[in-house]
Amino acid sequence: MSASKQLRILCLEDNPLIAFHIEQMIEDLGHVPQLTLSSFAQLLTIADLDVDCALIDIDLTDGRTGPTAARWLHERGVSCVFVSGQQDIAEANRAFVADIIIKPVVARDLARVLAQLTP
Amino acid sequence: MTAGRVQIEPDALDRVLVVAPYRRDAEYLNGLLQEHDIAVALSDGHHLAEHMREAAGVLVTTHEALTPHVIDAVRLHLASQPAWSEMPIVILLDRSSPNARIRSELAQRWPRARLLYYERPVSAVELLSGIQSALLVRLRQRDVRDHIDREVELRRELNHRVKNILASVTSIFQMTQRGAASVEELVTDFNGRLQALSNVHAAVFHANGEAVSLREITDLTFAPYRLHGSDRVTAIGEDVRLSGENSTTLALCLHELTTNAIKYGALSVPNGRVTFSWEITPDQLTIKWVEHGGPTVVVPAHSGYGTRFLRSALANLFGATPRMEFCPDGLRCTVGGPTAKVLGNL
Repeated sequence: MSASKQLRILCLEDNPLIAFHIEQMIEDLGHVPQLTLSSFAQLLTIADLDVDCALIDIDLTDGRTGPTAARWLHERGVSCVFVSGQQDIAEANRAFVADIIIKPVVARDLARVLAQLTP
Repeated sequence: MTAGRVQIEPDALDRVLVVAPYRRDAEYLNGLLQEHDIAVALSDGHHLAEHMREAAGVLVTTHEALTPHVIDAVRLHLASQPAWSEMPIVILLDRSSPNARIRSELAQRWPRARLLYYERPVSAVELLSGIQSALLVRLRQRDVRDHIDREVELRRELNHRVKNILASVTSIFQMTQRGAASVEELVTDFNGRLQALSNVHAAVFHANGEAVSLREITDLTFAPYRLHGSDRVTAIGEDVRLSGENSTTLALCLHELTTNAIKYGALSVPNGRVTFSWEITPDQLTIKWVEHGGPTVVVPAHSGYGTRFLRSALANLFGATPRMEFCPDGLRCTVGGPTAKVLGNL
């Protein structure tokens, strides 16, 4: 994969194990795990957010704020993808995301979705 | 509640609906029930479906009221009852009414109802005690409904938690696999991590939704390495309590630090020691892992799974990058973050 096609990716995930696993998979796929946060509140404190896309869980440490975060990022031009076990809530907020990945995350699903987002 | 089911209004189950086309009957029953503080609604048979939603506790009907339209409206209402509901219906017959035929027809047309028949003239006391016990039946049914609601909620929560745990286990397995040089190493490392997850899960479960003591987490994590009275790992700090999720993360981090010390650090030689300490102020919680007395530390050429997980997980937990120092005397790992965040009180 050429450097120009690298995506800088934001992860919003409250389970550190899963966050770490996703970061590792992102690296394996030749992209950059730019920033990992565990709440929407944390996202709001980031002054100069510079990412191409975001992988977002539904439940974060500040509650069910994943959909709010997706909408917030979507409005700022960041492509979003839900990564969650809660398919029904993810589907209900489909308008803000390019795709949905159902947990547990496997590299194949992540590769397919990121390939669609790569410019 | 399942779609298509009738939404019964909250206090509707306390109310008795009287269906009586003759005004005298309606007035008599209304007076009798009100006198005994039983809430009543009256219906002449029109808009019955609506009335049954508002007063669904017990239906009292005279046999004159049982027109095909009324029988059908009640049938539809009964069919749409939620699973816990079985509506008590009191039917007032006359000596002259075709009672056998009415009974057999209603038994067939109104399943999932408790039918109570009275033949007039009936004493006020007898009728009243019948209606009161029917209201009591409703109260029991409402308890069942509340239990079912709670169970549905618990099952949903359980499903969510099981999914989360399976996702964690999947992550642990896949990452252990990446870092393992051999099948034996994969088995040992995976078992160790799963055991750490399982131990802390037990502690979280016993805490019963409450926060878990940090002292308990350190005891659990270090217990396997405190053999034969030798206290090679010391935990020092004023006890604090962490949320279940944060306890799990910290326990996994301590597990990684410990196994790393056993493989390469202070615990790989007989005289090496580890001190794990923490300091807490209202604003800041800092943890410190200090190894000493081990083999001379060499800065690793590349970070293994354990170290990378530690960096990522501690950064996630504390909201700050941990400092990993490969001092010649032993590894040191320090990280601090806002107390409320680390304890999981946000």
